[in-house]
Amino acid sequence: MSPLHFLLLGTLLFGIGLVGVIARRNLFVVYMSIELMLSAVNLLLATFSRIRGDEGGAVLSLLLIAVIAAEAAIFLAMIIALFRAKRSIDAHDFTQLSQEHNA
Amino acid sequence: MSLALLILLPFGSSLLLGMLYLFTSLRSERLYALIGVGAPLLISLIALWLGYGQLQGAESLHVSLFTWLSIDALRIEFALSFDHLSAVMMAFVSVIGTLIHLFAVGYMRGDAGFGKFFAYFNFFMGAMALLVLADNPIILFIGWELVGLASYLLIGFYHRESANVTAANKAFIANRVGDFGFIMALVLLFGAVGEGGFSFSAIEAQIYSVDHALLSLIGVLLFVGAMGKSAQIPLYVWLPDAMAGPTPVSALIHAATMVTAGVYMVARFDFLYVLIPAVGLFIAVIGILSALLSALIATMQSDIKKILAYSTMSQLGYMFVAVGLGAYGAGIFHVFTHAFFKALLFMGVGAVIIALHHEQNIFKMGGLRRFMPLVFYPMLIATLALSGVAPFAGFFSKDAILAAAVASEYPLFGVLGLVVAFLTAYYMMRLLLLVFVAPAKHRHTSLHVSPYLSLPLLPLALGSAVAGFWGMGGAYGGGDALTHFLSLSDYAHHLTHKSEYLLALLSNLIAFAGFALAYRRFASGAREPQPTALFERWILERFYVDALYHALLVVPLRRISLWCERIVDDRFVDGTLGLFSGGYRTLATHFSTLQNGNVRHYALYFLSGVSLLSLLLLWRL
Amino acid sequence: MSESIIFYVLALFLIGGASGMITARRTIFSAASFMLAMIALAGMFALLNQSFLFLAQLLVAVGAIITLSMLVIVSVNISERYIPKEPHLGRDLLLGVVIAAPIVALIITALRTHFAASFAPIPDTFGTLASIGATLFASWVLPFELISLLLLAALIGAVVISRKGERS
Repeated sequence: MSPLHFLLLGTLLFGIGLVGVIARRNLFVVYMSIELMLSAVNLLLATFSRIRGDEGGAVLSLLLIAVIAAEAAIFLAMIIALFRAKRSIDAHDFTQLSQEHNA
Repeated sequence: MSLALLILLPFGSSLLLGMLYLFTSLRSERLYALIGVGAPLLISLIALWLGYGQLQGAESLHVSLFTWLSIDALRIEFALSFDHLSAVMMAFVSVIGTLIHLFAVGYMRGDAGFGKFFAYFNFFMGAMALLVLADNPIILFIGWELVGLASYLLIGFYHRESANVTAANKAFIANRVGDFGFIMALVLLFGAVGEGGFSFSAIEAQIYSVDHALLSLIGVLLFVGAMGKSAQIPLYVWLPDAMAGPTPVSALIHAATMVTAGVYMVARFDFLYVLIPAVGLFIAVIGILSALLSALIATMQSDIKKILAYSTMSQLGYMFVAVGLGAYGAGIFHVFTHAFFKALLFMGVGAVIIALHHEQNIFKMGGLRRFMPLVFYPMLIATLALSGVAPFAGFFSKDAILAAAVASEYPLFGVLGLVVAFLTAYYMMRLLLLVFVAPAKHRHTSLHVSPYLSLPLLPLALGSAVAGFWGMGGAYGGGDALTHFLSLSDYAHHLTHKSEYLLALLSNLIAFAGFALAYRRFASGAREPQPTALFERWILERFYVDALYHALLVVPLRRISLWCERIVDDRFVDGTLGLFSGGYRTLATHFSTLQNGNVRHYALYFLSGVSLLSLLLLWRL
Repeated sequence: MSESIIFYVLALFLIGGASGMITARRTIFSAASFMLAMIALAGMFALLNQSFLFLAQLLVAVGAIITLSMLVIVSVNISERYIPKEPHLGRDLLLGVVIAAPIVALIITALRTHFAASFAPIPDTFGTLASIGATLFASWVLPFELISLLLLAALIGAVVISRKGERS
């Protein structure tokens, strides 16, 4: 079991999360893809910590879990708000950043 | 100082008139006329006084006002000189110019642009004075150009009619072609002798060191300039059209100022042309061809002013024959006498035109002798003088030219000159008869002629009658006084007295033959000619030279311009610009669809960028 | 040897769960796949001797976050018609792979070149609750306090945002 396996796995997970963010329109899936990417980073941090024998990496990973929790709280609240506003969880329905849809 | 005054007075009064006209509401014709005629009157007095001094054998005057240019070897003084040649030119230019100014007061009465007209007119005089008094070719060229500008302004004086503007443009453009030759000649001349000073006397001193071929080229190029200004083949086309200007302008251009500039310039460069007789021969050929051609055209014209225009061109041809054959004195002599009777003719014609409310067709006139004797008799004298009838002024000068032509190695010039003399007598008598003698074709019963219009004719009539005695040749008891006074480097041969008498007799006979033919055909009136024979049509269409220019120059140029407009401009320039603007618009449209407010797409673009950067890094690592 | 087998099994679950999460059309299937992946990730932490992280991942990520997500999914009660149609899902996924591939490749290249190929020797206490706690409160106090602030802000934010949507 070399560390490289863990690093490869973490990067692959990150890539899968990226693909999810790019490809999916379902807000829930987008949200979970972001969670996946964060978790992939978490795995990498834990691996680094193990490679160096330094527990700082593990602490950082722990703090990251807290960040993930905070992000989840905000994201879910937003999904609820968006769903209430438009009765939709399709990312394509929310285009208010562009000028023409503002009016 | 008085020399500078000759220049400053007309320019100053022109400026003053222009200021008054532009910046004040003063429209008093008296004031404008006082200033406008006063300035030329003053300069004529000065010019006559200075000229009298020259006659008494005073040294020629030189004044250097300031250094105009000083760049390395190029050192141009703004210098004026007053020698015998300038004295003669200046005298008749200023005196006749003054009379024409006086005439213009009557002619332009009531015109809205009265003040403007006199501003231009004085400007014209000033430019001509500068041209005549110039001490070096550069200053002469400045005067030359200013004369061109003034003529442009005056020909297009009635600029609300586009035909007049076209005529003014034509004059200007034809003159520019000539000026190109002139300036090229000056450049070459400067290159050859500029190091040792560039005044006329300095050039004369060095002229022998110049290569003969280069000198010939300079001579020809200078003459190209003269062709433009003095309306010789092939640059004469502007002169007939220049009749669009008010009649005093025609008088000034034809008699006193502009067209004589070419002859003057050749005479001024006599020291140069003496060395290149072959070029002189070329000048003479152009001169005689112009004379013949324009005399032929004049016989068929029905516009009274155009007849005189072609007549001027024809007489200028004579002058160029003279200077071309080395008879510079005779050439200037003819310039001098011609100024009197041609000014008179134009002013008389102007009076007729005013009296008939701007009718210019001679076939619609007639019987005017009764109404305006003060115009008719001076014009009769002028006609006799122009036709070379002894002892009027034109006889002596024309005779001097013909004598030089006959005595030269090419007597053909003399023969053709006599033919031109016959034609001249014919068309002048034709004009006179149709206007004054033939049965009237109009309904006017009384015609008023302002004294401003008729009085200036009288001194000119006197001049036309007696001016020739000054230059009377030895055969008639004179002593070629003018020619000796001018002391130009003549190399023409002289005839024996006997053959000179014979020539005089012949030319007078020929003139009377011309009169007789005209009298037979036109004394009892005639209808406007309908050209039947091919030759007549050719003449009426002015030998199709205008058409030829049109086909050779104007049409191709217009084609090229149109091609440029359609292909180069539309397709190429506009197309390129359109590509930019259109491409930008298209791009913008496409980009605006990219910016659709969909955050997911924004993330896509951003990640695509990151992805491409990653690829780049991977490739570089 | 047994560690290797465990690793590959866990990796299979992780990747399978993640892939299932991004490909499933129904939201609840995605969530279930995601939960599977998160549990497998906790196993990975255990394999890395991070016993405390293993616990935290199970308790917080799986027990709290995933459960909360599923609760929300169920509570908004999304019926079929609210689920995005995503007609070009296959094409979009392919596009995503094409875009993500260079990024992943770059990261892998960087990791391969800059990290040792073997683990460092570690004490027995590595990754235990006591050891992590000592490290946390010895040298990570400030980040720890800041995280608590962040959590507080997120708490208030979540309440405000969801109430705002309620009013409209």
